[in-house]
Amino acid sequence: MTQLLTKLPPSTHEFADIIHRLEAGGSMLPDTPENLMQIIGIYKAYAVPMDFYWRDLLYIAERVFLEPLPFFKYFLPQEYLDLQNHYAGDNADLRIWRGTGSTHPELLEFMKKGETFSAPKLFHHLFHDRINMEFAEACMSAMYWHGRDMGMGKFDAYLDSDEYKTNADRAIRAYFKENPVMLGLYKAFPEMFLEQVRQLSYYSNLGLFWEVMAPVFFEMSDIYDEGGFKGVPDAMNFLVNGIFAIAGRPIYHHVYIDGECYEIIPKSKGFTWLYEAALPYVEAVFYRTSPFRGTKSYNAQAKQVPEEQKDFHFGILYADVFPVGTAGIPPTLLMDDMLHFLPPYLIEYYQKHCRGEDDILIQLGITFQRSMYNVTSAVIQALRTALLYPLDDQNPKHLLKNRQFFEQQMDRFKRPEARLRDIQKPEYR
Amino acid sequence: MATALILLPTIGAIIISLYPQENQLKTLTAIISALSLIWSLYLLKIFNLSDPTFQFTEYLSWAEPLGLSYSLGIDGLSLPLLILNSLLTIIAIYSIGEKIERQRFYYALILLINAGIAGALMASNLLLFVIFYEIELIPFYLMIAIWGGEKRGYASIKFLLYTALSGILVLAAFLGIAFLSGNGNFDYDAINTSSLSAQTKLILLTLLLVGFGIKVPLVPLHTWLPDTYVEASPAVTILLGGILAKLGTYGLIRFGFGLFPDTWALISPGLAIIGTISVLYGALAAIAQKDIKRMVAYSSIGHMGYILVAVAAGTELSLLGAVAQMISHGLILALLFHLVGIIERKAGTRDLDVLNGLMNPVRGLPLTSALLIGAGMASAGIPGLVGFIAEFIVFQGSFEAFPIPTLLCIISSGLTAVYFVILLNRTCFGKLDNKLAYYPKVLLSEKLPAFALVAIIFYLGIQPNLLTRWIEPTTNKMVAQITQTYSEIALK
Repeated sequence: MTQLLTKLPPSTHEFADIIHRLEAGGSMLPDTPENLMQIIGIYKAYAVPMDFYWRDLLYIAERVFLEPLPFFKYFLPQEYLDLQNHYAGDNADLRIWRGTGSTHPELLEFMKKGETFSAPKLFHHLFHDRINMEFAEACMSAMYWHGRDMGMGKFDAYLDSDEYKTNADRAIRAYFKENPVMLGLYKAFPEMFLEQVRQLSYYSNLGLFWEVMAPVFFEMSDIYDEGGFKGVPDAMNFLVNGIFAIAGRPIYHHVYIDGECYEIIPKSKGFTWLYEAALPYVEAVFYRTSPFRGTKSYNAQAKQVPEEQKDFHFGILYADVFPVGTAGIPPTLLMDDMLHFLPPYLIEYYQKHCRGEDDILIQLGITFQRSMYNVTSAVIQALRTALLYPLDDQNPKHLLKNRQFFEQQMDRFKRPEARLRDIQKPEYR
Repeated sequence: MATALILLPTIGAIIISLYPQENQLKTLTAIISALSLIWSLYLLKIFNLSDPTFQFTEYLSWAEPLGLSYSLGIDGLSLPLLILNSLLTIIAIYSIGEKIERQRFYYALILLINAGIAGALMASNLLLFVIFYEIELIPFYLMIAIWGGEKRGYASIKFLLYTALSGILVLAAFLGIAFLSGNGNFDYDAINTSSLSAQTKLILLTLLLVGFGIKVPLVPLHTWLPDTYVEASPAVTILLGGILAKLGTYGLIRFGFGLFPDTWALISPGLAIIGTISVLYGALAAIAQKDIKRMVAYSSIGHMGYILVAVAAGTELSLLGAVAQMISHGLILALLFHLVGIIERKAGTRDLDVLNGLMNPVRGLPLTSALLIGAGMASAGIPGLVGFIAEFIVFQGSFEAFPIPTLLCIISSGLTAVYFVILLNRTCFGKLDNKLAYYPKVLLSEKLPAFALVAIIFYLGIQPNLLTRWIEPTTNKMVAQITQTYSEIALK
């Protein structure tokens, strides 16, 4: 009887079914064994290149720094390959993944041999037979560009503070102390250098964000392989729990010059993983990003590109994963990266559908889209947990607040290009 | 020797009807057609280029009181068309992508069509020609009526009525020729129409023009074509447009131009105008279409118009161009219909408003699209391809006799580029809709016929001599005959 009294009338929203599913603790992605298999498989395939991304992003932010000709920024030194993930391995601060804390063995093997044959690193690099860091940098750029506009958290605002400028100035002068030309340029164009450092702070931000996500995804894959997840909500709840477990992880930017650490953004500033990295990342990369050249022809003069940044909806939740042509465009590069590390069950699954291996990049791109809807669902549920009320709250007003929150979130998928409608159907591949 | 080209597919059709293993029928039909092609290539090899008359002649008395004899012969006019007939039969067999129902019957009918057309092309007795001309209607009718599209009943009946009427008119003309000229003989070489009055000749030639004009078809006798081409399966459309329509132009040249040279000269300006109207109408109607198969069908009407203009001009070059255009058009049209068939099978539609982005390298039909671009270029007469060679000879040969119609045809060849750009722009380019684009892969067996046709279109475009050398002696002889007739009339 109490349940009946507290139950809300059905939502009249366009996505009422999905809202009801979220209210029942589910995900935006329908709970089917096929969806579970797809998203876990792709998390694993995503986590391996992500293990490279976070290491290289930190390497660029901390070591390459303002190198004027950073030709070798994608060539990770051994130190960064051995770098222990703070959330994996025996010495982890918080052990999320039971595996190793250093570079994933599959990644090491791929870096050695590539997809085709064993060759010097430079050849693998030039032939794109490598992890495509361009994708990671495109995500970083999206965070940086939209970060200036989103007004989310305090991280971006800090980049304009005098304290940040002073810290950056120290690091710039130390980095170029034996280079009078660059110092002269810095004197002439200080903002240009400062802008570069701000961008590098976002390299660090994203690197620290992904350092967490890689072991999360590895662990999810292992749990699935052990038969641990029973459905899509289990996988989503694992993410929600993970988000809260590591929400307070510090986000910082340290630079190492001649063995000395320069704290451009010190840990003591109190920037945390959830508010300064995860949420801006989801907003900038999943929702907004920018119209990648090659995925679709956009005509700015015909107003196909919005004037306001907040109206940008080119992220993976809206993306058309069809590549046109074979240009090395960021989303395509991620698909290429994931292709190297697909679990056998996912390869077998793709071979059975559409054109099998011939269009596997598209198929895995759409799986990736499904999986990111699940991650976004976890973020929405986490936000609801943090800001609103439990799903089993008995107070109808609280439930109504929750409903309004979910409806507000779903409003963003009313746009025709949103793929929320598509992922509800199993035949969308 | 010539009989083999009729016997091989006929016996093949019987074997196919009795062959127990259904899964081998396609291969078996292809082998029989290949044997037919090899045999016609062999005839090409031993064909005497210096002899413009009928070669490999065969004569068998059949029903002498009726004037019917089994009389066959091959000359430079029929030889290239015989090869085209055998080649397009193989292409048609491989354009049947998926498994079809009642395939035993289907393949047997394809072989019977091959035999019927070969018989008509080789017949040197007028009644024998009519028999073959009419016989191939039955398998065509059945193939449209049984394996056609949604409106196959309507299309097949329309096709049958029109083409049967065409046969009746041709038969009436032939009976008139034989009996009014007094000898009652239907053998081509024995016929002499010079004794007929000008009025009689005009009536008989008009009957032939309307009869064969339906088959070509010429505007305004064309209304059966778009419906039939659209409703017929790709294999049947290839045979219809690629070779059956050529029987119409072949008949015009062989019997209209060949038997009534003086009357032909009289009506040729009118024919050039009808040809030009067909060319312009075909091109403009093609531009207005939303269905790509219908667009190609109208394009066919336009391109067949060039042949009439060239035959009307009646010069050595224009007649050579007309036959070259028959071959060129047969090859290009077969390629176009084959590719359109692939697109329809894979995408499930022929609608220009729905198709888009087929060039997409991952989920589209990139190779089919590329070949379609090649076919469009060939049809538009881009240099280096056989379409250019044929059209160039037609225009050069016809300009002297009919400058204005020829100029209008040249303008119309530009319109060909217009509708092919529309077709290619809408189907191949743009953005593939990932909600629709779950197209199956194009199989190698579906690609091979297109590769073969593209190779021939390219090769003949670069080496046109290979095409024209067989035709030239016969067409030159026909033009010489007409010139001689003019001289005799002038002397009288």
